[in-house]
Amino acid sequence: MGKSSIRQVAIYGKGGIGKSTTTQNLTAGLTELGKKVMVVGCDPKADSTRLLLGGLAQKTVLDTMRDVGGDIELEKILKTGYKGTKCVESGGPEPGVGCAGRGIITSIGLLERLGAYTPDLDYVFYDVLGDVVCGGFAMPIREGKAKEIYIVASGEMMALYAANNIAKGVQRYAQKGGVRLGGIICNSRNVDREIELLRAFSKELGSHLIYFVPRDNIVQHAEIRRKTVIEFNPDSHQAQEYRNLAKTIQENTDFVIPKPMTQERLEEILMEYGLMDLVEDYKI
Amino acid sequence: MAKTLDQARYKCALGGIQTAQAIEGVLPILHAGPGCADKLATGYGTSGHFAPRIFPCSNLSETEIVFGGEKRLQELIENAVRVIDADLYIVLTGCSAEIIGDDAEEVVNQFRARGKPVIHASTAGFKGSNYLGYEWILEAIISQYLEKTQPKTETGLVNVFASLPQHDPYWHGNYDALENLLQEIGLKANILFGYGRGVSSIEKIPHAQFNLVVNPWLGVDTAQILQDRFGTPYLHYPNLPIGAFETSRFLSAVGEFAELPTAPVQAVIEEQERRYYYFIERFADLFLENRVMSKRFTVASDAQYALAITKFLVNDMGLFPQKQFAMENVPEKYQADIESSFNDLRYGVTADVSFETDGYLVHEEIKQSDYLGYPLLIGSAWEKKTARETKAHFLPISWPLNERLVMHSSYVGYDGGLKLLEDIYSVVLTRFN
Repeated sequence: MGKSSIRQVAIYGKGGIGKSTTTQNLTAGLTELGKKVMVVGCDPKADSTRLLLGGLAQKTVLDTMRDVGGDIELEKILKTGYKGTKCVESGGPEPGVGCAGRGIITSIGLLERLGAYTPDLDYVFYDVLGDVVCGGFAMPIREGKAKEIYIVASGEMMALYAANNIAKGVQRYAQKGGVRLGGIICNSRNVDREIELLRAFSKELGSHLIYFVPRDNIVQHAEIRRKTVIEFNPDSHQAQEYRNLAKTIQENTDFVIPKPMTQERLEEILMEYGLMDLVEDYKI
Repeated sequence: MAKTLDQARYKCALGGIQTAQAIEGVLPILHAGPGCADKLATGYGTSGHFAPRIFPCSNLSETEIVFGGEKRLQELIENAVRVIDADLYIVLTGCSAEIIGDDAEEVVNQFRARGKPVIHASTAGFKGSNYLGYEWILEAIISQYLEKTQPKTETGLVNVFASLPQHDPYWHGNYDALENLLQEIGLKANILFGYGRGVSSIEKIPHAQFNLVVNPWLGVDTAQILQDRFGTPYLHYPNLPIGAFETSRFLSAVGEFAELPTAPVQAVIEEQERRYYYFIERFADLFLENRVMSKRFTVASDAQYALAITKFLVNDMGLFPQKQFAMENVPEKYQADIESSFNDLRYGVTADVSFETDGYLVHEEIKQSDYLGYPLLIGSAWEKKTARETKAHFLPISWPLNERLVMHSSYVGYDGGLKLLEDIYSVVLTRFN
């Protein structure tokens, strides 16, 4: 169990939206502020800590458990990455078999038993795959774990559909306990009127757009070298953006129980910002 | 708030294991968590060859839940086939395996492709009761073990589906009694469950002249599947026949459906009735002059016994029905027909039936009823306390049955009616002590 002084944060968002990239760059930014951070990857693909560790060398909690049973030493699964960041990958089954949701529950339970949540930590980030599809993927926001949720989204329709759906999951847990939505992070896709759309969407949820991360190819350049942008090119404009994101998260005090919208209302907002019109452009 | 179910009279669908175990030579292989089926197999009569308390089980643990249990199932079947010489292996999947989506069908198909008699029935507990589990096991046998061919029909051969094997303490005796009754009128029963039957009986299924379902609802879907697959017609006789009136009606109905000449069937009925009433007559002084016997009765059991005993006690014994309880979670689609069967009684009598599944609520209703004397309460061990509180004549006959040993007896047929009278009056007569 983590101490209450640790800020436990879960990052959700549509698959491929950039949760892992954002989380790791944000983590790098927080370490520059002198914060001690642990990142727990909650995705069977086990790629949530690649940029912090400089590769996918890490053995996942579940792989280790499968090989040696429950008697695991913490150092076998907890690796130290960029500037002392602690990195864990929950892992999971092969695609198409078993239960990834149960895997996350098992894995986080094991981390707690092994004492991974040390009092010196300032932050624990849970980087959770895709949507809150079942109870297992809601494990990081159950009582006693992450109390802060950030949803990564963009101005694309499906990203907002997913974000609204995730907000429903957050609302369910928020009504029972202390889980709150800390805001929406926009990982920009450079679509028209993106920032206005995201602001309107966040407002409708009862939350706020906490940060707008602009699109920059340097992120891809850094990724291919298995580095965060802050490590790859600390002087770049994008590195500064992530530092700003880290600072904003550090100073955030606006935590709410989200008010997910109906499908109709979501589509109204999308229409209002012209996103639906774009569908016409794809007609053959 | 979730509904509380107190003193349930049924188990989960994995209880279908009892159906598999009732077929000689069939070995159930469980793909489920440890303990699931062991709990289902409690009771008496659980020793012997392929003893119901001993069966291969994948004992799914956390590792299989997270990473999938197909490989483990594959190893389990492989080893079971190697060390246990069964005629047919039935893989039953429980809740956990079904939730994580293990493809047991595919694993089983690999063995069938190698010529091994292995089939799969999906019996997740969350899908239904052990009554439905029974039908799903039969469906698996029909669709996976029996070839879909145009079978040669054997005139006079009748597949019989009646009591739920092992869960009904009298299942074996009931099937044997039905077999004997059919034999009396010249038909040959083909029964899957119990001594000396087994896989050879399964193989005869497609050749039957017709299927006979003797149950208010259980097995009707099975008969329909057989009709669709092999074109075999079926007779649904909703009432397990107990005593002369209903057994004679049963034999007439079966004889007519089988297109047997009427006269020989009638001759059998007349002879059986003569014998039956010889005994009734000898003990008529007891039945007519006994002052403590109940006037009104309640059966708290499954639909099979609630209906069969109500018919017997009204039609043969002239008792009045208080409310009856069919407590096995009867599927809704059958409830209206069952209600009308309860109204098909002699002397213009009708009976109310409730499909309540909660023992506590049933007991409250019994306690609040006026039986105009000592109630006659026929049910399970769960009714013992209520019987004591209501000063009832109490006869436990259905699961859970803790204080009686039933090996091979039955209440079915002419003799079954006499046996039920013996058992009821054996309780009534203790009143004089």
